[in-house]
Amino acid sequence: MRTRAGRRASAAALMVALACGSAACSVIPIGGRSIVGENTSKGNPLGDPYARVIAVPPNPDWSAQQVVSGFRAAMASVDDPRREVARQYLTDAFARTWDPRSGVTVYRQTELPALQAGEKDTRVTLKGTVTALIDKDGRYRPSGGPLNEPFVLVKQPNGWRIDSAPPGLLLSEADAERAYLKADLYFLDAERKGLVADQVRVPIDPTSNFAKTTVGRLLQGPSSSLKGAVSSAFDGTELIDVTTEDNRVVVDLTRRVAPELVEPMSAQLAATLAGLTKGGWDFEVRVGGEPYYTDSPLTVDAQEQAAFDPWIAPGEIPPYYVADDALWLLGKENTGQPVLGAAGKKDAVRTHPAISAHAQVAALSKNGKGVSVASLTTGGDWQQWVTGESLAPPCWDRYQTLWTVDRLNDHTSKVMRLRNGQRHPVSAPDLDTVYVSSLKVARDGVHVAVVVRDGLGEQVKIGTVIGQGNETRIANLQVVVPTEDKQTIRDIAWKDGKTLYVLTGKSDLLEASLTDEAKSLASDSRIQNITALNGSLLAGATDDEGKQQILHWTSAKWEPFVKNENGSTDFADDGPSMPAYPLG
Amino acid sequence: MPTPKKRRRTLSQVMRGIRRRARRAVGGVRRVWRRSLQLRVVTSTMVISIVVVAVLGVFLMQSISTTILGARDRAARSEAQADRKAVLVSLNQHDGDASKQSADPGQGAGRGEDNPLAALASLAGRAGPAVRYSVVIRNENLPGEFYATTNIDETSIPQKLREDVLRKPADEDSTQYWNLRYKDRPQTVPGLVIGTRLDTYGTGLDDGYEIYHLIPLEEEEKNLTSVRQMLILVGAALVLLLAAISSLVTRQVVTPVRLARQAAERLASGHLDERLKVRGEDDLARLAASFNEMATTLALKIHQLEELSHVQRQFVSDVSHELRTPLTTVRMAADLLYDAREDFDPMAARSAELMQNQLNRFESMLADLLEISRYDAGAAELDVEPVDVRDVVLRAVADSEALAERHSTRFDLRLPGEPCMAEMDSRRVERILRNLLFNAIEHGEGRDIVVSVGADRDAVAVAVRDHGVGLKPGEENMVFDRFWRADPSRARTIGGTGLGLAISREDAMLHGGWLQAWGAHGEGSQFRLSLPRAAGAPLRGSPLPLVPPEVEMRRTWRGHMTPVLSPAAADGGRDAD
Repeated sequence: MRTRAGRRASAAALMVALACGSAACSVIPIGGRSIVGENTSKGNPLGDPYARVIAVPPNPDWSAQQVVSGFRAAMASVDDPRREVARQYLTDAFARTWDPRSGVTVYRQTELPALQAGEKDTRVTLKGTVTALIDKDGRYRPSGGPLNEPFVLVKQPNGWRIDSAPPGLLLSEADAERAYLKADLYFLDAERKGLVADQVRVPIDPTSNFAKTTVGRLLQGPSSSLKGAVSSAFDGTELIDVTTEDNRVVVDLTRRVAPELVEPMSAQLAATLAGLTKGGWDFEVRVGGEPYYTDSPLTVDAQEQAAFDPWIAPGEIPPYYVADDALWLLGKENTGQPVLGAAGKKDAVRTHPAISAHAQVAALSKNGKGVSVASLTTGGDWQQWVTGESLAPPCWDRYQTLWTVDRLNDHTSKVMRLRNGQRHPVSAPDLDTVYVSSLKVARDGVHVAVVVRDGLGEQVKIGTVIGQGNETRIANLQVVVPTEDKQTIRDIAWKDGKTLYVLTGKSDLLEASLTDEAKSLASDSRIQNITALNGSLLAGATDDEGKQQILHWTSAKWEPFVKNENGSTDFADDGPSMPAYPLG
Repeated sequence: MPTPKKRRRTLSQVMRGIRRRARRAVGGVRRVWRRSLQLRVVTSTMVISIVVVAVLGVFLMQSISTTILGARDRAARSEAQADRKAVLVSLNQHDGDASKQSADPGQGAGRGEDNPLAALASLAGRAGPAVRYSVVIRNENLPGEFYATTNIDETSIPQKLREDVLRKPADEDSTQYWNLRYKDRPQTVPGLVIGTRLDTYGTGLDDGYEIYHLIPLEEEEKNLTSVRQMLILVGAALVLLLAAISSLVTRQVVTPVRLARQAAERLASGHLDERLKVRGEDDLARLAASFNEMATTLALKIHQLEELSHVQRQFVSDVSHELRTPLTTVRMAADLLYDAREDFDPMAARSAELMQNQLNRFESMLADLLEISRYDAGAAELDVEPVDVRDVVLRAVADSEALAERHSTRFDLRLPGEPCMAEMDSRRVERILRNLLFNAIEHGEGRDIVVSVGADRDAVAVAVRDHGVGLKPGEENMVFDRFWRADPSRARTIGGTGLGLAISREDAMLHGGWLQAWGAHGEGSQFRLSLPRAAGAPLRGSPLPLVPPEVEMRRTWRGHMTPVLSPAAADGGRDAD
C-alpha cells in the first residue's frame, strides 16, 4: 500500500515538473519560420520629435543681460503663441505697444551683446546680421543688413524691465528653425488644373501635430506672394482635426466642398502633406467625423497630386536639343534624332528653341526680330507669331501660351503673351522701365522668373502671373539673385515650381528660390545654357575649340550626355547644344 | 383608556407581525440550510475558493505589475543615463565654443548659443517618433535655459520630485510615478518621471542643470488592465467551476442518501416491502445493503408480532364464544335461583342477588369483548344513513336520565337551532354518546354535565363536559386503552366493563372521525366526538374546541396574553363562574 502511494506521489511530482518545464519553454517560442517585417521608410505625418524652448518669467535678481537673454528665450517659445510670458519682461508702457505678431526678424549673432550702462537706463545691444524676415502670413524672405538694435532696460522694483526693443519678434536662426515648420502649401492655379507651391513658415504648435498645423495653415489661404494668383478648394470650410488611422491620414473638415472641387481639394491635400508623409500614407477626408460621402469614405491616394497635375512629377521626359542647326529629340540610349516637321530640318536662322507641352516649338530668329512657332508633327511648318525690335528668347507656359519680351531700348521692355499667334499685352509695371534680358514662366503657370539688367548689372527676380489673356499682369516681383558688380546672367531654368537654376556670366551655377539665399552649385566653365526638369539638369557646353556637347548633372559632377551615332560622347563641331525640356 | 390600549396593541401587533415574518423567513432559510447538505457543501466550497482565488489573484497581479514596471523602469533608467552623458558631452562642446568667443563666460552666458537645445533635439530624435519618452532640461541659474521635447507639458514634473532632485547630489536619480500631461492631449497619461541633476564637476559648466525623463506608461497600463480583467474573469470562472464540481460531487453522494431517507420514510409508514437498489460496493452501496437487511428483519419481526397478536385476539374471541354456552346454562340456573330467592334464607337470597348482578356484568363484559374482537378481526360494518345529530344526542341523554337521577346530576344541553344532518350509523354513535354520558355521570361527582353540539360545513361534533376530578397530564390518551382505570382503588359504581371508551374510539374511527379527551386536574374533563358530515370524507377540523373555552380564556388571562378567541367562546364564560 505504501509503495503504491509512493509511486503515485512520484508520478504526480513528475507530471508537475513536466508541466512547469514545458511552461517555462513556451513563454517565448524559439525557432519557427523567420518573419519578414515591412520596413518601408515613410514619413511621420504627425511630425518628428523636436525640442522647444519654454518661456520662463523674469527673475528679480537677474542682471540686465540676463533679462535680455530670458526675453529672447521667451520670444522663441512656441508654447505661448501670444507671448504672454515674454510680455512680462517689458515695462507696462512698452508692453502695451509691443506686438509680437507684427513680424519676425531672424538674425545671426556675430558678437556678444554689448552693455552700455546709462544714468537712467541700460542698453544691451545685439550685434549680428539680419538673415531673413518672416511675415505675419508666414512668408519667409531672405534679407540682409546688420543687426544693431538696442534693448533699453530700466530698473524697476521687481528687477530689470525692457522699455524699448526692436519691433516684433527677434529670433536667432536656430530658434527660427525650431519655432517654425517649413511647409510647402499647394494652391490651385487660375484654371484650377494645376498646383502652385507656396513656401511658408508655420509656427509650431505643441498642442497640435505637424500635419494639423500644416493643413490648418493651408486652409488659411496663400501668403502675400501668391495673393490673387491662386485659389484654394477649401474656401468656406474649416479644419477640425488631423489624425492618423490605419496608415492613413484622416483630415476632418467642418463642411463639404463643391463637388467639382473634390478632386482639386484632394490634390492640394496630398501635395501639401507629401513633405510629411513622404508619399507613404494615403489620406481620407471626413466631414464632422463622418465619412465624406454618405455611403462611402473619400480616400485620397498618396500620389493624388501627380495624377491631378502631371507637371508636379513629370517623370522621364526626353529633352530636345539643337544639333547641326536642327532640333533633335533625345531617344533611347542617349542618342537623338531630328524631330518631325520643319523644325527638324537644318535651319541656321533660328535659335533658342522652346518646347511647349503640346508638341510645338518656338524659336527666336537669330537677329532677335521675330519668334516663329512650328508644330513637331510631319509637315509642321514654321509660322511667324510675333516680330519686334529685340525679342527675348521665347518660353511656353502650361496654358499653351507663348511668352516673350520686346526690348524697345535699354529702358523699355514690353512683356507679351501670345496665344495662337494672337498677342496679349502683359501689364508689368516693374518691368516696363528696365531691360528684361530673359523671362521664364515656371511649369506651375504662376511663378515667373525674369532677368533684369540695370546699370549695375543683371539680377534675377521671381514674381507671379496673375490673370489670363488681356488681363494678365506680373506682380510680386522679388529679387532672388541680387545685382553684383557688373554680373551678367547667361541663362535661367526652372527646376520645378519652387527652384530656379541661374547660370551667371562667369559660368557660376546658382540654385535660387524665394525662401532661401541663392546657393552655389559646382559648375563647369564651358556651360553656355541650361534646362531642367525636376531632378534632371542639362547644360549646353562649348569647349575652347567651339565644339559642343550637352552635359548632364549627376549628383556630383557634370558628365557628357548625348551620344553620337558611334556611341561617343565627345565634344563635336555642330554637336548637341541648347538643350530644352518642354516648358523649360 | 381603551383607545390608546388598542392603538398600542395595534402597534405592537404590527411590530410582532414584522418580527414574526422575519423570524419565519429566517426560519425558512435556516431550515433549507439545515436540510440541504448540497447547499452547505457548495456554499462552503464557493466561499473558500473565492478567498483562495482572491489571494492568489492579488499576489499574481502584484508580481506581474512589479515585473512589467520594473523592466520598464530599468530600461528607462539606463536610457536616461546614456542621455545624460550625451547631454554633458554636447554641453561641454558648447562651453568650449563659448569660451573661445568670450573671455568672460559668466557674463556672456546669454542665449544665441543653443547647444542644450541642440542636444535635446538629438535626444528627442533618439526617443523616436512614437514618443517613447520626453525630456525636459532646465537650469534655473541661467535665464532662458528651460527646454522640453515635442509636446510634453512642463507641469508634468511633480514639485516634490523637483525638490528631491535639487536636494540630492548630482547624478543621482529620483523617480516617481506621476500623471503626465501632453499639450496635444486633453487627458493625462500615467507615467514615470526620472529626474537628475547633471554632474558637471570638472567641466566648468553651471551645476544647475536638471534633466528629467518622462516615460509614458500607457502601454503598460493597458497591458496590466487587460491582465487584471483576465485574472478576474478566470477567477470568477474558476469559482463557478469549483461550485459546479462540488455540486456535482455532493449530488452523487446526496442522491443515494436521499433515496435511503425516502425509503426509510416509506418503511416507517408501513411499506415493509420497501428496499434500496444496491449498486457497486462502495460505502453507499453497503449502507443500502444494511438498510435492506434491517428492513427485512423488521418486516419479519412485525409479521411475527402480528401473527402473535392475531393468535391472541383469536384466542379472546374463541374464549368469549366458548364461555357463552356455559354462561347461558349458568344464567338459566341463576335466573331460577334468583326468581326463587324469596324462598331462601336471607343469606342464600343475598347470594342469589349477588350472583345475578355479577352475571349481568359478566354478560355485558362478554358482549363487549365479542364486540371488540369483531373490531380486531375487522368484521365491524357501518350502517350509514343521514341522521340529525341532535336526535341522537337526545336519545342518548334520555337513556342516561335514570343513571343521572341516581347521581343527582343534571344535563345542560346546548344544541343548535337548526338540524345538524350527518351520515352515520346512529346505533353506534348513540352507543358512543351513551358511553361518554355514563362516564361523565360516573366521574362528574354530581355536578352539571354540559353536552354541546356544533356543526360547520364539513363536520359535526358533540362535546361532553363534566366538572369532576379531571384527568392528570398524559391521561388523555390512556383513557381509551382497554381496561384502563383512572383510579384503580376506586370501586366501580356503575357496571363499566373497562372497554367502553375503547369501543367508542373504534366506532369513531370506523366513521372516519375523532374521539378525543381533554382533562385537567380540578377542572373536570371534556370528551369530544367529531364526525364528517359525509361518510368517507376526510375530517380536517372540528367545529367545537377540545379544551373548553372558559378554561382556555382563564388560562390566557392569567398569562397576560392576547386571547385567541374562538367562535364558541361567547357562552364559555358563563360556565366558568
